[in-house]
Amino acid sequence: MKPKGIKSFLNEAGEISAFTGKFFKEAFLPPYEVNELLRQSFEIGYRSLPLVTLTAFIMGLVITIQSQPSMEAFGAESWLPSVVSVSLVREIVPVISALICAGKIGSGIGAELGSMNVTEQIDAMEVSGTNPFKYLVVTRVVSATLMLPMLILFADTISLYGAFIGVNMKQVISFHLFTNQVFEKLNFTDLLPSITKSFFFGFAIAIIGCYKGYTTRNGTEGVGKAANSAVVISTFAVFIIDLLAAQLAGIFHYL
Amino acid sequence: MITTATNTNDPVIVIRNMKKSFGDHKVLDGFNLTVNKGENVVVLGKSGSGKSVLIKCLMRLLEADAGEMKIFGISIPGLSNKALDELRSKIGFLFQGSALYDSMTVKENLEFPLRRHLNKLSKEDVGKLVGAALENVGLPDIENKMPSELSGGMKKRVGIARMLIIKPEVLLYDEPTTGLDPITGREINHLMLDVQKKFNTSSIIISHDMNCVRRTANRIVVLIEGKCYAEGTYNELKNSNDTSIKQFFD
Repeated sequence: MKPKGIKSFLNEAGEISAFTGKFFKEAFLPPYEVNELLRQSFEIGYRSLPLVTLTAFIMGLVITIQSQPSMEAFGAESWLPSVVSVSLVREIVPVISALICAGKIGSGIGAELGSMNVTEQIDAMEVSGTNPFKYLVVTRVVSATLMLPMLILFADTISLYGAFIGVNMKQVISFHLFTNQVFEKLNFTDLLPSITKSFFFGFAIAIIGCYKGYTTRNGTEGVGKAANSAVVISTFAVFIIDLLAAQLAGIFHYL
Repeated sequence: MITTATNTNDPVIVIRNMKKSFGDHKVLDGFNLTVNKGENVVVLGKSGSGKSVLIKCLMRLLEADAGEMKIFGISIPGLSNKALDELRSKIGFLFQGSALYDSMTVKENLEFPLRRHLNKLSKEDVGKLVGAALENVGLPDIENKMPSELSGGMKKRVGIARMLIIKPEVLLYDEPTTGLDPITGREINHLMLDVQKKFNTSSIIISHDMNCVRRTANRIVVLIEGKCYAEGTYNELKNSNDTSIKQFFD
């Protein structure tokens, strides 16, 4: 990376940190925009449900189908439900769902706020006596932080249904036996890190989308760039958070 | 340089020595302006001369680097957020592109300024105020339309209705007729004059549309190189021999 690139990267990281600091300052002070928070929760949570559900189902199915030959080769076919379910719940579903949300929610927030910014709607809000940071940023970030874990929990369940169908494509296994095998290995310590990191995924996706949209410049060209870079940076952030979460989960596992 | 003596007995807006730079570029460099009660003052200048920056600094959407700015005798710089919101409730701002909220209907757009300024109103009262505001701009029965369904002129009218719904005493218009056809532009000019007459408002109108300037200005201030270069009525400035002023009227 050239020195100029490093400087702009550090500048941007500093600005995102300052933006995040402002979020924590504004989030706890009244007035609270409860109606907008509920509306955003509906937009972010409910409207992302079909996409996340479909992806989770396919992931469960595909991972099971792909793992079957290897497990068969090792003579461990009966372990398939437990192995697949642990990898789905601990890693694959949270990360894939977060990446899907980075694309859908991150770009949506970046483009919406960017467009509001260049058409002076944010200024109009300010002169109307409404704090636009509270109304637009705080509500979206809180909604995404709360909705992502719910979406991922739901996606975990759906992916297990996908895995059940995947297992049944080569052999016949009852749903009762499948769930017994799944929950023999899958326990609360697998679910906890997965759900904990999904709060951070939601927060990171929304705060980056909001930052990019809120600081958009240069008209409609800037709106496109804001949406694009919101997706790129939040995707990168999802992987970084996942890496940190894996390390921390590993440390706590051995304690 | 032309200067006309103005009635400073009842000034609503006073700007003294306002300065604003973006990096090395000086946009406003010691700008002075006084607007009296019931007066429409047009700030005339080329594109990029800092006209919009001027009213944005006045509303504290941008922070001025230096200078004194007073509205109703209240100094704007250093005002607390609460006091600023209170002051803003007496000021209407029409943005260049109308700045209607895309995701809201016309009715919701008009209700939005009321949620903070007049938050003790009943639903029925809000409905009446919205209806009256749309009636004032000649657009009844469009409450449930989305901004994307409106023409440019209709958007401006709804923008004016949204501005008027809080019954402001001071109005700031940023390029009110830019991008409109001459007929719609004329209608907006009439509307601005009607508002002035009906509500006895004081206004700063930012424009480089000479039709708008001619029809709406009680007084014109020419902004050149960040300063108040000249001041006078339309006819006084039109008859000026100064080439910098003449270029606006040719």
